[in-house]
Amino acid sequence: MTSTFAVDLEKTSRTANVGIVLLFLLFGAAGIRYSFYFHFFTVAFFFLILLNLHWRYGQRTHTLLANFGFLAQTRYIVESIGPEFRQYLFASDTEERPFSRVERAEVYRKAKGIDSSEAFGTLLDFGDKELKLRHSFYPADKDDLDAFDVAVGAARGLDTTYHVRRPIMISAMSYGALGQNAVRSLARGAKLAGTVMNTGEGGYPKYHLMEGCDLTFQMGTAKFGVRTEDGHLDESKLAALAALDQIKMVEIKLSQGAKPGKGGLLPKEKVTDEIAELRGVRLGHDVISPAHHVECTCAASTVEFIGRIQQVSGLPTGIKFCLGRPDELRAMVQEMGRQDTFPDFITVDGGEGGTGAAPKSFMDDLGLPLFTALPLVHRILQEEGARDRLVVFAAGKLVSPGRQLKALSLGADVAYSARGFLLALGCIQALQCNRNTCPVGITTHQAHLQRGLDIEDKAQRVANYVGALHHDHVELLAAMGTTSSHRLSEKNMYLPAQTTMPSPDKELS
Amino acid sequence: MKHPLLTRAAQGIAAMLLLMAAAMKFLGDPGSVEVFMRLGMDPAGRYLIAAIELMAAMLLLSPFAALGSVIATGVMCGAIIAHVTQLGLVVNDDGGRLFGMLVVVLVCVGYVLISRRKEIPLIGNTL
Ligand SMILES: Cc1cc2nc3c(=O)[nH]c(=O)nc-3n(C[C@H](O)[C@H](O)[C@H](O)COP(=O)(O)O)c2cc1C
Repeated sequence: MTSTFAVDLEKTSRTANVGIVLLFLLFGAAGIRYSFYFHFFTVAFFFLILLNLHWRYGQRTHTLLANFGFLAQTRYIVESIGPEFRQYLFASDTEERPFSRVERAEVYRKAKGIDSSEAFGTLLDFGDKELKLRHSFYPADKDDLDAFDVAVGAARGLDTTYHVRRPIMISAMSYGALGQNAVRSLARGAKLAGTVMNTGEGGYPKYHLMEGCDLTFQMGTAKFGVRTEDGHLDESKLAALAALDQIKMVEIKLSQGAKPGKGGLLPKEKVTDEIAELRGVRLGHDVISPAHHVECTCAASTVEFIGRIQQVSGLPTGIKFCLGRPDELRAMVQEMGRQDTFPDFITVDGGEGGTGAAPKSFMDDLGLPLFTALPLVHRILQEEGARDRLVVFAAGKLVSPGRQLKALSLGADVAYSARGFLLALGCIQALQCNRNTCPVGITTHQAHLQRGLDIEDKAQRVANYVGALHHDHVELLAAMGTTSSHRLSEKNMYLPAQTTMPSPDKELS
Repeated sequence: MKHPLLTRAAQGIAAMLLLMAAAMKFLGDPGSVEVFMRLGMDPAGRYLIAAIELMAAMLLLSPFAALGSVIATGVMCGAIIAHVTQLGLVVNDDGGRLFGMLVVVLVCVGYVLISRRKEIPLIGNTL
């Protein structure tokens, strides 16, 4: 049965295509005979006829328009405004991606310092399919909790050992992906909140340095800021950066969840004069980083490279990757043991991670999700006797205290977030980070769009967000009957019963 | 979007002529009044057309020049209809000056319209 409302597009459009010509003639006649005002319509229909001729006989790219004419155009128009329409009118509170309205609202409220109690019941599915945290019959006394403290570099006994004292850090986002106001708001907020911010792979972190916050310098695969002409490491530049007081750690980016196996990408729309200069690249071209560091071609060379960066920088130095094959990770960890060179931290980025720009299939189809990868990483490190030699950071939609504690339970020591902080800055998820048109002035370099992003105000929101997350972190830990996040383990989680999917990870590792 | 100087020049010329035309209509220049009387549209229609011309001129000077050129082309088409059906090409013994101006504006905005057609809201991507 076809719907009674089905429209025969072919018949309707044939009528319409003739109809506009008739209407044109009719209005023309009325304009001559009765009132000149009718000619407003004469002209309008004249335009429509011209357009229609073009669509039907001129252009070759749109089949629907060629076959049916202007009526089909309404479909394109409706389709083009569809996403906004759905977001504003029809999307339910829990169905938008990457972040549902419920998830975003929590961040907005934390950032604005608004009370976050809710009424009546959860809006999320609450069956046996979701990961849950386990509470204890015997909650801990909040005053008995250890202050949050993760020492990075302590395993090597470094004088430069860095203590992370907030359960959440700002994950890598470069100046380039972000505009200067956004970078400075985040940096000033990090300073206020006492957390550490990652510079991203955008070269010399000019704006990150402005606000006096602690920084992790990220070295991307193109080594912007510390590269020689031919893409190798310029040791003197790295040493100079590492000597800056604000730079506390160095992160070697091997890969990233949103585009594992591919280098960073900055679309040419966003390459301003200044960015071209800071990165040492050309104007008017997409900036595409290599897929891997030229030095890192196998486990041995990668571990050597890590050791070299540790040497040159003298700072706690780690690697960031999105997990693909556990067997490769195991081999690398074994190699670390052989060379007795362990990174001071490992950042595990979930395949669901964010990005300023990435090819769609890389975002959608590559890389293990964080909650699959973390337990694997944790287990491999443990089995190879490396878990005590380093700390684990985790990123991948960790924007709420619950998800952060789940990550800590599954093997991470500190949570990292990028998009959580963008939401705190007022991101409305317009999904235009790659076009330099961000309507809230975050991922754009256009002055008129950045105008509305007040650094002082947004820095306070960033600080509020960190404060609220830390507060909830403590509350949840206490409810779980634990006095320190170091004691969390898989036992603190409810893991849904096994799915029927075969798990190649078992054999691979 | 970057456009060649020619497009920008056309925008400028058209906007200037449109502004002049709008001003004459607003100020009740006797020639304009006479024309709109003959069309049976004075004074409401005169002010309406002047307002549309003013808007089109401003759009032509803004980032929304494509939209401005659509509107201006529409007004010019209407004017051509007026000349052809009621006024004649020579109005008040001007030797066709008024009509000549019209053609100049039409050529300018038509050129802008064609070179900026991709920027027309909603339908630009199909042109
Ligand atoms: C705008 C933007 C820019 C980013 N730039 C980088 C980068 O330069 N280097 C990097 O390793 N990751 C980058 N990322 C990935 C984040 O650091 C993070 O790993 C990922 O988004 C997961 O965290 P989230 O889910 O909390 O956003 C970027 C993410 C976003 C949204």
